This record gives sequence, C-alpha cells and structure tokens, in this order.
Amino acid sequence: MSYRLTLAEAESYLRKAARASGLDWGIAEEAGKTARWLAAFDLPGPETMLSHLQNLAGKDYAEYIPQCNLEPWQASGGVLCPVITGAALADRAAIMLKGHPIKLGRTAYPLLLAATLGQAARHYQTVFVTCWSGVRIDCFENGLRIEGKRENLLLAEVDHVCCCREEKSTPQQLPSTRAYSIDAAIFKRIDALAFKTCAPATEESRAGAGAGLTDND
Amino acid sequence: MTDTIDCAANNPMPAAAAYRRPPEVVMRLARMGSFHQTRLSFMRSLLRRLKRENWCFKRSLWAIDQQGFGRAVYTVYGPERAYSLVAFSHDLPADMRSDRVIATAWDATFTLFDGIPTEADLDRLELNVPRQEAGRISDSELSLSRANRSVRLWQHVIDRLSAGLQPERVQLESVGYLVRTTAVYGSGKFGAADRLTISDRPELSGPFQAELLSVWLTRAFSIDLVEHIARARGGDQAVAIDPELRRRIGVGNSTGLGMAPFLVNHPALLNNWMMAREEAFARVRSLPRAENEAIEIFKQHFAGARFNVSQWHSEHPIQIEKLEALNADLEKMTAYIEGESLSDDHPWDRFYRWAEENLSLEGQEQLLSLMLEPYGELVDDLTRCMDADEHVSFFIDGSMPLSRLREIVETQCRWALGVDYEQPENRARFWYTSAEKLEPRVGERFHEPGAEYELPLAIGCDIKHMHAALLVWEGGPTTAEFLLAHPEHRHTARRVQNLASRPYAEIQDNLIAADMLPIDILRCKLSFFGATKFDPRSDRWVRICMYQDAPYPHEWLEPAV
Repeated sequence: MSYRLTLAEAESYLRKAARASGLDWGIAEEAGKTARWLAAFDLPGPETMLSHLQNLAGKDYAEYIPQCNLEPWQASGGVLCPVITGAALADRAAIMLKGHPIKLGRTAYPLLLAATLGQAARHYQTVFVTCWSGVRIDCFENGLRIEGKRENLLLAEVDHVCCCREEKSTPQQLPSTRAYSIDAAIFKRIDALAFKTCAPATEESRAGAGAGLTDND
Repeated sequence: MTDTIDCAANNPMPAAAAYRRPPEVVMRLARMGSFHQTRLSFMRSLLRRLKRENWCFKRSLWAIDQQGFGRAVYTVYGPERAYSLVAFSHDLPADMRSDRVIATAWDATFTLFDGIPTEADLDRLELNVPRQEAGRISDSELSLSRANRSVRLWQHVIDRLSAGLQPERVQLESVGYLVRTTAVYGSGKFGAADRLTISDRPELSGPFQAELLSVWLTRAFSIDLVEHIARARGGDQAVAIDPELRRRIGVGNSTGLGMAPFLVNHPALLNNWMMAREEAFARVRSLPRAENEAIEIFKQHFAGARFNVSQWHSEHPIQIEKLEALNADLEKMTAYIEGESLSDDHPWDRFYRWAEENLSLEGQEQLLSLMLEPYGELVDDLTRCMDADEHVSFFIDGSMPLSRLREIVETQCRWALGVDYEQPENRARFWYTSAEKLEPRVGERFHEPGAEYELPLAIGCDIKHMHAALLVWEGGPTTAEFLLAHPEHRHTARRVQNLASRPYAEIQDNLIAADMLPIDILRCKLSFFGATKFDPRSDRWVRICMYQDAPYPHEWLEPAV
C-alpha cells in the first residue's frame, strides 16, 4: 500500500527524523531539504534518508565528519555521512566553482550527497556533477540528469565519489510539485522516528495552550 | 543596511530611505504586538486584485437540507483559473463545539479546490474534509479549514430573520461574525498541494492568498446558511439580512500557539512583510506636502478607526489596558489633527514624530495604518514584494569569512548579545511540539519536564552562544570550517547570514523570556492578514475578526454565467 507524502511533509518529517537520530537542527534541516529535493524528482529520497538515519542512530558525529584537508576526503570512522559531507561540500562549493573537483573516500548513500549539491546548483545557478560506481548525476538549478545503472543509484556504500562543476550539460527531468508516493509501511517508520522529537503531553501542556476563557460562545 | 529592499526595481522613491524605521525599532515584540491591519494586508490586496482583474463569481452548488446540513460549492473565476470553496455543514452536538485544535468535530468544514470539482471530487472530499487533520486531501486542494458557529449570534440571527425581523445591531456588532474559523491549513499540509504549485500564479503567489480566498468565501457561506435555515423555519415570513447590516458581519478566527513559530521559521518572509510595510510608511513620511484630498481621506479613515475602536471589546487585562491607551491616543490625535496644520512641510513625518513622543505603541501603529490609506498609488505595488522563496534564503555561504559573520552578529544582533541567559527569567520558557496534538507549545523550563525536546526558537540565546564560540575559535578563517567543527551552530549561522541582506528577518526580543507574550507574535502575523478586533483569551490565544465591512462575492464580482 502506498501513501501520498507532499513535498512539504517529506521535508518536515525527514528533518524531524534526522533530529531524532541525533543530528543538530542545522544539519537536520539539510536532511529534510535533501529528502524533499529527491522526492520532487520522484527519487526515493525519504526512504534512503530513513535507511541512512537508522544506521546513524547512536553513533558519534565525529566518526562521520569529513577530514576535508585530505584527498580524498575521509571519515575517521571509515564511512562518510552523506548529509554532513553534503553540507560540507555545499559550504565549499567555491572550490568546485573554480574548476577543482572534490574526491571523497568511502561514503554512505551517495544519492543523498548528490541531492545536497542540487541545492548548491540552485544557489549558484550552475551544474554540479556527482559520480560513483558508473552513476553520474548532474544537478541543475532546476533540473536533473541521471546516467548509468539505476541499481547503482541506491547503493548503501561506495568506495569513491567524485564531485565537480560541469558547464556543458542539459537537464533530462524537471522537478514536480506533486505529492510523492511512498510505501505506507516505510512512511510509518519515518513517522515513528520523527515523532520522537515531540514531547509527551503533561497536564501543564494541556492546560496552558487553550483560551483560558470559554471558546464555545 | 536598510537601503536594500528585495523589490528595489519597484522603488520609485529613493528619498524615502531616510525615513525608514530601523529594525531595532520595528522588530520588538511590544511594537509588533500593537500592529493594525493596513492597506497592504493580504485580505485587502486579494480583494483589490479580484476587482482589478474582473473576476466572476457563482454559487455553483447548494445541496443543504432544511436543517442546514449538506454541501455547497462557491466558485470564483479569474483570467486564467477558477477556484472553488467546497463547504460541508454538519450536525454538531453543543458539547463537542470547541475551537481548540484538540477538537475532533466542527459545525462546518471547508477546502479550497483548485478548479471546479466534479461530483466524484466532492464525494472524495466528503470522506476526508470533515475529519480535518485525521483526513487526507490531495494535490487538487489548496487549503483545509473548519468553523464553528457563534453561539451568541447564530441562534439570535435565525430567530430574528425567521420572524421577519432584522438582527439587533448591537448584538450583531458586539460579536462581529456568525462563524469562527480556527486553523486554515495550506502549503502541503495534510496532503494539500505544495506551495510551489501556486507560487508562479500571480493571483496566489502573494502570502496566504489561497487561505484568505477560502475565508472570504466562507463568510459568504455563513450568511447563505443562516438565511437558508431562517427561510426553512419561517417560510414566507422570513427575511434576508439587510445588506448594510450584513457588511458588519465578518468571519471570526480563534488561534493559538500553533501559529506563533511560523514567523520565526520563515525569516525571509517576515523580512519581506516588514520591509514592504516600513517602505510604504517611509514613502508617505517623505512626502513634502499633503494634498487636501489626501487629508480628507485620512480624516475619513481616522473617523472609521475611532468607530472601530469603540466596537472593539476584550475581557483580557492586557488588551483592556492597550485599548484604554489606544482610546487616549485617538483623543490626542483628534486634538493634533484639529490643532496642527496637515498642509505644512512634511506633515506626515511631523505627525509621526509627534506620535513617537506622545502616543503608546498602539496609537503609533494605528497612525501608521491610517497614513497609508490615502496613498494607494504610492504603496500598493509593494504588496508584490511580500512573498519570499525560503529555499533561496536557506543556503549557507560557506566562504563567508568568520570576521564577517562576527561583524553581522555584533552590528545586527546587539539585542541578542545584551541578554544574560544565565538568569533564570531570561530562559524561563522553551518551545516544543506536543506529542499529543503535534502542535507547538511553550513550556516552563524550570517547572515542567520536556526541555530536551526544545525547538530551535531560542534565537537570541543561540546567537549569543555562537558568538561566544566564534570568539574562541582558532581554526580556519571561513564559515565552512567553523560549521564543520560546530554543527550545533549551523541553524544559527544560517539565520545570521540571512540578516546581511534581510535586516528585518529576526524578532529582536528574547523568545524564551519569562515575560514573553506569544500573543504579540500572533497579532503581528494576523495584522498582516488584515485581521481586526484582536481579543486575547489568554497570553497565548487570540480571537480576531476577518473581512468585517468587506464586500461579499456577489456584490464585488460579476456573476459567472
């Protein structure tokens, strides 16, 4: 059974799910945007983000962050987090704008990483390319091109990723604003994770929010 | 800093820049909580557009039984597209009637349909819209809302109309509405179409235009419904509401904390609303002279404001005090208007500077609203600058030198740095989402559990923490390097960078202080909608009136054939 998840909901649920998985709010916001960006191209952003967040739970942020002074970038724990690394890549987009590629070592869910560059492409009005295992994703200001084998798109871990700027490319697909269709069971898991950011109700919270006076008049 | 307005191309008056009030004056909760509707407010810009573009109107379905239950559809036709309010009227036992978001049933429920619904659409919507948050709508719907009858007025109006009599004016005006809406959801909530679906449509790209169109049509539905029930009961004896009296009926709204974080979570939008409003005011203040016609229009609106304040009642001590101050302000303004010449040099600027010295914040902000009234040609175009693409302002400039990031904090966030957050009263509250209703709430940090669920709305406190980290940072010189080591400041760095080009993006007050009043945030937002008669029911819950005195669709628009 499938469930219609609006893009706004995709962003909101995955932001909360990322927060519940231990990421700081600022990084969790990137996770929400990433899930939304992919869902707009009918790519499994919400599901892939969920898989990644489940792997991340309980682990130390420091293990996942890229050491950006190395070539390729590497995580001290062995695997780069695509959300944290994606944010670091977008923050350093100026390097790629100057024509220098950035190479990454072992990385989890590179599709999520590519999506972060999609947002940088929009900001800089350019095209950023992410390549791994025979897959190439070109992210445009408002579009996408995918080449390579689809089964490699969703790989959980790859050894090498390369990111760079591209000037000659044309989009294959434009984003939709329509709701994204997701497996209902997977959505339930996302919902359950996001729900962990909510505080259980107390007598104080129930009493404090209302009118104080009657509202049936 | 304040020389930038996103809509610079719309700015025919560089001379106005010197008259803009700076963010540190404007972005204070006490002032924002004293805002009044203006001619830039979203309800008014919506109705101006519908008229200007010759929209048409039709009540395309009325399937309501003798008791007043059933479905109805109201359609407006624009130059390119049509939109339909789909209304369901229900039999609601009195003991289930509550405006709280925790309610599960309402007198009437609504959705704004994108286009003209088929019978199959209506059947699908009837299974979902009455359930509100528990139902699911689709990409074809732009809003989801509900309303309860005003117990005080509803029965009175039916009793009178069915007996061939008009409602008592005093009773009608003291309430001001037949139905009271609560949440009006849009933008992808509960399955509705995403904001981007409508953001490139001129008629709906402005803030909350779809939601406010639905409310305007809801008002028409409330009148039709009450007259229908009166006719069913009174037969030939029943009468319709007198058109002049009918205008005095708006739509109520009852709203609480759920709305408060919106302004904090949409800094680019808040900036654009504020900049447009301040730019409009600066343009008027910069005028060297006021023509007689403008003075006359001002005086008419001033008289209208005095009348409206006389009709504005509240039982809440905070608002009672504010209304007393506003009444005293209006007296002083009357004396000023009679005593001072409005035809002298820069009369509006002189008037406002006098107001700053002599009036409460309520009076100052009322004066701002009134001063815009004669100058539609000068200010109305600024409504085009009031939407915002929050996705654009989301991006962090990692190459920004930390010296620059610090400079923004130290020049534009002095309000945040000046607070000692170690003092319990300065961090007495925390914002969180309630698991019970998935709605934002404010908790007491030192008296309630749950602070570990705090939402990132303690903006001032977070800015001060980031600033402290910047002061001791010994790593690389860019924002990118700092944020890699300090992900806990990423949210705040994004906001601070945003301030460089959006100086009105932050509320310059402590949102977790013991004495913070959430109703100030609500009033600011609702004034931009165009609401009147703010009537707080607590420090975090307010009732308002919308569209009071506005025309009805069948009066304002041509009939659709």
